[in-house]
Amino acid sequence: MNREPVLELENVGKHFGALKVMEGVNLTIADGERHALIGPNGAGKSTLFNMISGMFPPTAGEIRLRGRRISGLPPHEINRLGLSRSFQITNIFHRLSVFENLRIGVMARHGVRYGLFVPISRMRTINDEAEAILERVRLTQRRDHSAGDLTYSEQRALEIGMTLATGADVILLDEPTAGMSREESQRAVELIREVTEGKTLLVVEHDMNVVFSLCDRVSVLVYGRILATGTPDEIRNNAEVQEAYLGEEAA
Amino acid sequence: MLARTALIAALLIVLIVVPPLLGIGWQNALTNMLIASLFAMAFNLLIGQAGLLSFGHAAFFGVGAFATLHLMGAIEDRVVSFPTPLLPLAGAAAGFVIGAFAGYFATMRSGVYFALVTLAIAELLHSLAPHWDGLFGGEAGLSSMRMPWAGLTFGSPLQVYYLALGWAVLSILLLWAYTRTPFGRLTLALRDNEQRVRFIGYNAHTTKVIIFSISAMFSGIAGALLAISNETANYSLFSTHVSAQVVLHTFVGGSTVFLGPAVGASIFTLFAFYISEVTRTWLLYQGLIFVLVMLYAPQGIGGLVQTHIQHWSKISWPELGRAYALAAVVAACFAAAVVFLVESFAIIFSPEYAAARGRLDGTWPPFKLFGVEWEVFSPVTWMIPIGLLAVGLLLLPSARRMLRETWDQILERAEAARTAKSEIQLAGAMER
Repeated sequence: MNREPVLELENVGKHFGALKVMEGVNLTIADGERHALIGPNGAGKSTLFNMISGMFPPTAGEIRLRGRRISGLPPHEINRLGLSRSFQITNIFHRLSVFENLRIGVMARHGVRYGLFVPISRMRTINDEAEAILERVRLTQRRDHSAGDLTYSEQRALEIGMTLATGADVILLDEPTAGMSREESQRAVELIREVTEGKTLLVVEHDMNVVFSLCDRVSVLVYGRILATGTPDEIRNNAEVQEAYLGEEAA
Repeated sequence: MLARTALIAALLIVLIVVPPLLGIGWQNALTNMLIASLFAMAFNLLIGQAGLLSFGHAAFFGVGAFATLHLMGAIEDRVVSFPTPLLPLAGAAAGFVIGAFAGYFATMRSGVYFALVTLAIAELLHSLAPHWDGLFGGEAGLSSMRMPWAGLTFGSPLQVYYLALGWAVLSILLLWAYTRTPFGRLTLALRDNEQRVRFIGYNAHTTKVIIFSISAMFSGIAGALLAISNETANYSLFSTHVSAQVVLHTFVGGSTVFLGPAVGASIFTLFAFYISEVTRTWLLYQGLIFVLVMLYAPQGIGGLVQTHIQHWSKISWPELGRAYALAAVVAACFAAAVVFLVESFAIIFSPEYAAARGRLDGTWPPFKLFGVEWEVFSPVTWMIPIGLLAVGLLLLPSARRMLRETWDQILERAEAARTAKSEIQLAGAMER
């Protein structure tokens, strides 16, 4: 693992008032790596995601994206620097069409934020790119349906498509297969593998099959601390992890 | 699409051709209708498209009016020379600037807090204006005259009407074009999910400030047209009544349909013009209509029209016509009964009637309504509204059933057509 680090967390901590939910988290994710974040409920996985993506700032430590400090920046700036996230609870534009959902993201990539003088229908590149993403997440059939009318797994696919649409190359996925059947979840894994090709991926996931089949490295978060980081095999055989997490799951 | 274009073209022709044939009173009413329509359309950019409910839009309407009057005054005093037809630009500029300033603070919050901040801004202006002679002309307000320009005198209400029509049509066209731009699409996305907008790289606050300013700008144009038409304005333009009126117009017309707010504003302005001549209780009727629309057609009148257009081919008109005829009878019975009761009580409890009783030593003289004399304690008098109510109540269940059944059938046919279509698509995809 001698690739250049893309995302670095250094001594990151978070407390809400007197309540310490996270302390001394160190994590380095290399370029092109697929990294999973696992841990029991309440371990702080979502909190960590929220701090990285700018939902709220950490109270201690520093987060760097390609060497640039991003902790404390608002979410839209972090996104413009090339980090995009999905949400655990589907977070799409329900009343807009599927295509429109993706196009909003593509517009952001091209910096067409406050365009008021040219109709969107004439922006060929943006429309073409949105169509391309539509095809990649296999939603072409549903192009003109309201996003709110899609099935659950289609909405999850759209969620991933939107995360990709802004052109970020560091992708954070928050439980992308939560609530899916085994078969659906398998297809979702294939989709994720395919669409994040060449990108850096950090994923929170509960399903161990997904974690072990998708990721190169795994970090285990327990009570706001990183317990261990390693390859899936190392983690599987780590006694501490088995005790804290996997064992519990098996029981 | 073609039908819609034809409908709008026909409407425009009516708006251009008919007013010269009307009296001055109606011409003025139509000018007010256009102003209210434009104001409601500007307001709806916020609530309908961005999902932001402002309770203080009178602020920008008023600011537009005052700015225009200042410019008119300067033209009158020959300080500057400016073409009269372009006066609304002053309203637009003032609305935009004040909107950007107010919007910066208001859009820091959403939902109820946003609404309260906008309300507070309008109230601030409302209480400030009467004490600020230089800017708002104190309690009396500002007055000025429309100056002739390039051979146009702008002396008659008809010329003012055409000026208002030109600006209203242009503004509404621009607002429509807005929905087609990238920023227009972003506005809709913001309404649906502000959080996601932030996480895909947009500054949600800046976006909201821009939307707010544009809405305020068009509100300012509407205010400017009012100033041009009335040649005067005072602090009452900032009152909650004006802010509430535009909310009412927008929702009765339907905030989800593009031209809905204009429809609502037109109906209410003309209703007010016509009914306020006849009765003092017209505001009560306006309120009743608002409540009924919100309860039974929450998408507004525009929403109703859109539903009919959408299912046009699936509607069997003889059946629906029968259902609507019966519903109309029921509605007419209830409306007549309510109007009779309201107007009777309005007379009986009026100071004039009390004075008449005083003159007659406390006896109850008959009162005059609809050109007929009614005895206060005669059962015949009250049999009329009670009879109407009874007929209405008797017919109500079957009217409701007919409406529901007819519409259920229409929606069923539409659903069947939709599934059939998507099955064909799916089959086509399988073959490929």
